[in-house]
Amino acid sequence: MVNLTIDDKQVTAPKDSTIYDAARINGIKIPILCHDKKLKPFGACRMCLVEVEQMKGRQIPACTTPVTEGMIIRTATPEIIKARELVLELLLLNHPLDCPVCDKAGDCDLQNLAYEYKVDTNRFSDLKFQHEIDYNNPLIERDMNRCVLCGKCVRICDEIVGYGALTFIDRGIETKIGCEFEKGLDCEFCGSCISVCPVGSLLARPFKHKARFWALTNHNSVCGYCGTGCNLTLGVKDNKVLTTIYNDEQGFHKGQLCARGRFGYQFISSDKRLTSPMIRRNGRMTEATWDEALDLVASRLKGGNEVAALATARLTNEEFSLFRKMMLESIGSKNFDHSAGYAHSALSKGFVRSFGVSASPASVLDIQKSDLLLVIKTDSYETHPVVGFEINMAVKNRGVKLNILSDKRGKLSKLPGAKTAIHTPGNEVAVLNAICKAILDKKLEDSSAATIPGFAEFSKSLELFTPEKVAAQSGIPAETIIKIATDYASAEKALIIFPIGLAYSGHTESLASAAANLAIITGKLGEEGSGVLCMSEKNNGQGAVDMGFYPQDGGMTAQQILDSCVDGKVKTLFIAGENPLVSYPDSKKVKSALDKVEFLVVSDLFMTETAELADVVLPACSYAEKEGTYTSLDRRVQYVKPAIRKLAQSKSDFEIISQLISKIDGKESGTPAEQFSEICSKTAGYEGMTYSTLGNNGAFATTAIKASLVVPEYTPVVADASKLALVTGSVLYHNGTLSQHGEGPVHVCPEAYLELSREDAARLLINEKDQITVTSESGSLQLIAKVSPRIPKGVVFLPYHFPAAPANKVWSGTAVTMVSIAK
Amino acid sequence: MSEVVAQIEEEEPEVDLAKADQVIDKYFDLPGNLMPVLQGVQDAYGYVPRKVADHVAERLNVYPSQIYGVLTFYAQFHLKPRGKFIIRVCVGTACHVQGAQRIKETFFNTLHIGHTETTSDLRFTFEEVACLGACGMAPLAMVNDDTYGKMTVQKVDEIVAKYSAIPLD
Repeated sequence: MVNLTIDDKQVTAPKDSTIYDAARINGIKIPILCHDKKLKPFGACRMCLVEVEQMKGRQIPACTTPVTEGMIIRTATPEIIKARELVLELLLLNHPLDCPVCDKAGDCDLQNLAYEYKVDTNRFSDLKFQHEIDYNNPLIERDMNRCVLCGKCVRICDEIVGYGALTFIDRGIETKIGCEFEKGLDCEFCGSCISVCPVGSLLARPFKHKARFWALTNHNSVCGYCGTGCNLTLGVKDNKVLTTIYNDEQGFHKGQLCARGRFGYQFISSDKRLTSPMIRRNGRMTEATWDEALDLVASRLKGGNEVAALATARLTNEEFSLFRKMMLESIGSKNFDHSAGYAHSALSKGFVRSFGVSASPASVLDIQKSDLLLVIKTDSYETHPVVGFEINMAVKNRGVKLNILSDKRGKLSKLPGAKTAIHTPGNEVAVLNAICKAILDKKLEDSSAATIPGFAEFSKSLELFTPEKVAAQSGIPAETIIKIATDYASAEKALIIFPIGLAYSGHTESLASAAANLAIITGKLGEEGSGVLCMSEKNNGQGAVDMGFYPQDGGMTAQQILDSCVDGKVKTLFIAGENPLVSYPDSKKVKSALDKVEFLVVSDLFMTETAELADVVLPACSYAEKEGTYTSLDRRVQYVKPAIRKLAQSKSDFEIISQLISKIDGKESGTPAEQFSEICSKTAGYEGMTYSTLGNNGAFATTAIKASLVVPEYTPVVADASKLALVTGSVLYHNGTLSQHGEGPVHVCPEAYLELSREDAARLLINEKDQITVTSESGSLQLIAKVSPRIPKGVVFLPYHFPAAPANKVWSGTAVTMVSIAK
Repeated sequence: MSEVVAQIEEEEPEVDLAKADQVIDKYFDLPGNLMPVLQGVQDAYGYVPRKVADHVAERLNVYPSQIYGVLTFYAQFHLKPRGKFIIRVCVGTACHVQGAQRIKETFFNTLHIGHTETTSDLRFTFEEVACLGACGMAPLAMVNDDTYGKMTVQKVDEIVAKYSAIPLD
């Protein structure tokens, strides 16, 4: 810490802070346009000029000048005020004064500073800029006429997002911000540039002319898409969620959001939402009252194990816990599951046997504290973009090493120094085993490794996985495998990251154990910056596992439930929020199960493909309308409260289930808060939490681990040289099938496609955007071709979110599906 | 500028990326290699074609936007094909007072191109420059490395005729 004087006040500040930071942490406000605490200092706007006595009273920028011991700083002398007024005058010389129609008005730094410094006249005259406004994309409007060239958009896109869409073009007075060759913006559309723009140059188009900034009420919430657990602020007017608002104080990510978090909110107030319960009468769906619908459902929720339930991993912890209670106590059925049964097995089976707990022994915060990240699948960026930002920042700003094992390249591969080892699809476990083998061969394991339960058996099992053997199988050269092994073992702190989800059917308990083994034998566990981070796909995937909403003690898995619907063992199926017809593998099997089950109840926000087959459809509400908690992928338990009143007649799943319980056995279920206290009393790690102690930042559930080495199952993928290996996955703009109802993501990524390599495209004479037919053993599908340099030869990638071209027509649930393609 | 870009896109012929690859290979392992690579490709193609800029971005793992930022910041880079003969007319103080404006306008009228523009046959590119450092010879013009001092309107026609007679390869 250094001592300094700011405006006659004795203050202290950390040694490495700038004058601006020192003032800010001591409550002294210095005006600025070009600074964001997440970005490196830039010194472009000259608003933060201050006087430093030791520098002979010269005016220097506070944001780029480091503090020194004994500095005497004045932030608001008459000269400085005058200098700032001049800066504003010069900015306003070219900046159009179109505030009445600018969406930024009220939230505009330039407007606020001009007001604060009373810049109401201009001594100069000049022309306004005449740049063409970029309306080339549906989400971000770029009006360079309003730009003050602070460069925050350019920097955030480089430093945090790592996309680099924007740059300074030309120089001097001609300088403007734009994309290469002045083309329209065509990027990831995370909107980070919008969030930091101090003026109205970058605006969210879906929000344009929807409401004045000051007419919105802000509600803190937790994003309803992926498992990262980002916090967001919903801008609400007239009981409608109209936008998301940037708040750099929010969450570990400091308000940073991805495309779906920022632009995918429209499903909440969508006019396509279900408004009333529906009952199928004489083959037709007709509206019904809640009483009719719930009486009918309650009458069918009988017969113990003849009733089964499938839920989406987007329910709250309270809903999962109550749902489970209803299944076990009121109905007497053990048959309930979520996420298709396999998408949680990495946690519920893999980590349980390897770590003794169904949670990751690491958090997102460890990424920036690590020395080396081993990321399995570049898709980690697409499935969890904000975690991807953390990886970008770790690599770019902190020099963290990045090794990637993947079946294709991706954005993470482009990070400086990133090493991507491309293996043939489905061989992750073999490669991880080979890395362990190389570590043991080179005696790089932790000294305590041999004492860990299962070591002898595990090390014996590795005989089959010498780097040479796995090299032949996976296509990664043996020396690369050995290099990854030595890099990993020699890093002081190392973190393994992999995503799980419906589309990652290969990421199951065996992958979890293979990754866990590597961390365990090298002792990269239990300290900051080390561990294994398993990233669940949906916002409460971890919570669903923590609440025990998966089959135990002989209950059926999701796949067994579907089989049992066909053979009549399950007579009533309750599906809460899931859309298995689109998102579960093998659509034929799902369709026949849903057709054959005697009674199908679906609670959802929308009339999904699955709901259309139901006997009763119950309108559920979104996360913005209910109270409860979500547990993020790193077990941060976060509280959400309603931002808007429930739409039409919709009810939360909590209300639906508690009313069903009361109809079945007359018991009252209480409030979500009471349910949460019950959860905390019996869930390991949740002890002592209450809604009020969670506050705005949530709290981490503790994870105590007991490591054991487990031999992971591995079945080699049988490749067929005459065919292509199809891998399924998520795309950046979508999450599950919910984002199909968010206009923003759909604008950018409206339809399914098949991504294939340049080599295969050339061989098959397929061009970008050609209509192609993909055929597997289970069916065929028409898709648009996308030719991409990131895909290796012999591999094709298919995203799974799209009902119009459901991946599950060709994908039966195996990690790799062999397909052929024809034009 | 966007119109100009549209023009480039229409006109830009298929480029052979092998020349760019040669340049990139030469500097691939050099830290801070973007400038020498861009200078190298400009030497190889006479300008920096968009496809080459994109290719450099992909191979060097630099954002395409960043490359464009560099290309537009430095006056030495050209994004359009340039003529075989670069006519430079000095409009610095000494030349200005000796009538450089009329020399310049005569070139414009004769060649039907303006500042930094190129004739459609890619023979001439015209540039006005601030000073060529030979004020004693004002008004001054240069065609590639040949210097023409004490310029007159008549000499403009002679210069154009002289270089028009040289066959384009």
